[in-house]
Amino acid sequence: MQSSVWPQIRSLLPPSLEEFPHQLGPEVDGAIVVCVKEAAVCVYTCDLGRCGHLGEMIMDYSWEKLNGRNWRDVSRDWRIAYSYGCLFKVVGDCGELVLDKDKVLRVCDMSLLLGAEIMDNVISKIIQILGDPLTKDSVRTPKSTTVLTHRRQKRLRDTQENPVDVEPNGQIPEKIPRPLTPVLCADTTIPTVRCPSLEHFRHNYLIPQKAVILDGVIDHWPCMKKWSIEYIQKVAGCRTVPVELGSRYTDAEWSQSLMTVNEFIDNYILDQEPARRGYLAQHQLFEQIRELKEDISIPDYCCLGEGDEDEITINAWFGPAGTVSPLHQDPQQNFLAQIVGRKYLRLYPVSETERLYPFDSSLLHNTSQVDIDNPDTDQFPAFAQAAYQECILCPGQILFIPVKWWHYVKALDISFSVSFWWS
Amino acid sequence: MLWFGFGFGGFGSLRSGTEAALSAPQPVQHHGLDGETLTKAVPSWSYTAYVTDDGSLLLSGCIAGCPQQCVWFHHLDCQDVLPSEKYLLVLMKGRAECWDVAHLDCAGTVPEPLWKMELSDGHNAAFPLVDKGHVLLQPPFFRELGPSLQTQKMALGNEHVVLLTCDGKVLTWGAGRHGQLGHGDVEDVSAPRLVEALHGVTMSEVAAGGWHTVAVSESGDLYCWGWNESGQLGLPSKTLQVEHRPDCTIFSGFSSEDGPTGCDMDEDSEFIGIQAFPALIDLPQEIEAAKVSCGSRHTAAATRSGELFTWGWGKYGQLGHGDTKNLDQPKRVEFFLPE
Repeated sequence: MQSSVWPQIRSLLPPSLEEFPHQLGPEVDGAIVVCVKEAAVCVYTCDLGRCGHLGEMIMDYSWEKLNGRNWRDVSRDWRIAYSYGCLFKVVGDCGELVLDKDKVLRVCDMSLLLGAEIMDNVISKIIQILGDPLTKDSVRTPKSTTVLTHRRQKRLRDTQENPVDVEPNGQIPEKIPRPLTPVLCADTTIPTVRCPSLEHFRHNYLIPQKAVILDGVIDHWPCMKKWSIEYIQKVAGCRTVPVELGSRYTDAEWSQSLMTVNEFIDNYILDQEPARRGYLAQHQLFEQIRELKEDISIPDYCCLGEGDEDEITINAWFGPAGTVSPLHQDPQQNFLAQIVGRKYLRLYPVSETERLYPFDSSLLHNTSQVDIDNPDTDQFPAFAQAAYQECILCPGQILFIPVKWWHYVKALDISFSVSFWWS
Repeated sequence: MLWFGFGFGGFGSLRSGTEAALSAPQPVQHHGLDGETLTKAVPSWSYTAYVTDDGSLLLSGCIAGCPQQCVWFHHLDCQDVLPSEKYLLVLMKGRAECWDVAHLDCAGTVPEPLWKMELSDGHNAAFPLVDKGHVLLQPPFFRELGPSLQTQKMALGNEHVVLLTCDGKVLTWGAGRHGQLGHGDVEDVSAPRLVEALHGVTMSEVAAGGWHTVAVSESGDLYCWGWNESGQLGLPSKTLQVEHRPDCTIFSGFSSEDGPTGCDMDEDSEFIGIQAFPALIDLPQEIEAAKVSCGSRHTAAATRSGELFTWGWGKYGQLGHGDTKNLDQPKRVEFFLPE
């Protein structure tokens, strides 16, 4: 017996085994090729249980290939093999009478996060099929409700012992004090212009490489009206995303973890503990979740670059107040669009690099050793002389950060930003 | 002697059958193989290599794209073997060779080697050590070692090398991003470098997993470092905590004041993801370790009294405890205890 979505999933696959593409690249080990071939046979003989087992084996073995090396050294052949594993695992799960949609979605997301596109983007099509009835009833998965309840109970016990925490309205107390809003000095404040023409922007900011805030450019983006915690939970709650854990990526105890958007919101946005900070940062969320992509656009000014539109990297940055991106530089021009909440940013031109003391190590050479919040003037004496500009970026504004300009970012509220890296 | 196999056996590498996980030890059974004559058994993922006392080599599992094979190479003068999914390094009397796994056939034809090296007559270094250097499982298949190194034993991780010298010092080099080199950071190292944190402790055994390293001292102490993704170091692993969470939520109604708060994710810091310095790992009752061995993400230690402990990734039964759980602390394999 198979689940009710199986016929729909089946219709996404080639009609016969002969048409099933299972060409794998030369990097992939022979035994994995054997597994992929056998799993494909299982699809067409309807031995879906065996297909799922083989898929999981392929995933487990390929995962080690993906995790062993630096991501940029991972071969595309192995990412494709991993995605085939995900596909067969999904087929196996859909072969079960009662479908665990969260589990299947997680496997699909693992394919989007770690794998590579196979069979004309079949994984995204499966997500769409699973998505329709899903969005109606998945604002919260039962599991995360249980966890939340448990956490609430624990907090109630805590609050009895410690009456300072009691909130009369029963709301979740905000344990992290919001960062104070910095007072900016007029000399260093980044200028703001309202809807400049392409030519004006090019002539006055892009060519001379000057930072500027663009006002009124994204007012018409649907995200400006639509995005809220509830909306993101509704559209993306069950989706698995990478989350950075720890105050800042330069800290020793910083790490990354995969979790669902609901888990992230429950544990790091709604329920903030000072000891624990999570940031959904630098993730190509809009490639993964198409519904959210419809809520944003690409700023027209990007056409002034030489690259194609599909070469623009769009990243999501979603987190609680207080998240920090340490002072660093990126190799492309950047438009940082602020959708929800405010962010404080400080920018240093490329010419100040020597005064910013970049790390020596290959991994962090684009990051400054100086802690902006608490600079060590003995260790980094020239830092105090470095010239900078700053701003408080508000919802509806875009900040232009010229290529390789150093920037430090701190969220002043619960914040959602979208960055566009272009050349 | 009896030989037992457990763990991933989906291609028939341990005994015939397509069962992916042999979770409890079972006698190794292959056509024509007698435990009395077997001297070595070394697993890769999809096949296992066996060496017998008459110098024959047996490969069982997925060979030439066919699962459930049992391919004999008789009278090779084979002494040791190092199998991987792409290459097979074979030590024979007077020479070492590298075979391309993709070009093996099921008839047992000895293939034309990709690489070979003549060895001196009196050669008896512990493979992968050979005259003046060591073999490795990727091109160029041989690396020279400086003449100043008095080598005793070597272990190869997926991307790192561990060397034990005759006077019990440990040197490591290669990729370091999982802390597997034990130098206290996650940087790569291109030449043999002493693990200084072990200074003054004489080691007698080393082993390397995919991305972790284990050493045993003369006095039977066990040191682990590197990646702890599945608890393979015997240190608290977050992966295990997350796995156990669904179980915990069932008990969410109970007070967790007294017991461990299993499903509370607050105490992230007590988990070890990467251990960049050697950590001393206790076996229960301070039993002394004698020998160690690693899979890609699990670890096994045999004690001086002949017990076997395993920990780490267990999804395919590779820990031998009769289940498929991961473990982040050493557990005795009860199967091997006398009745």
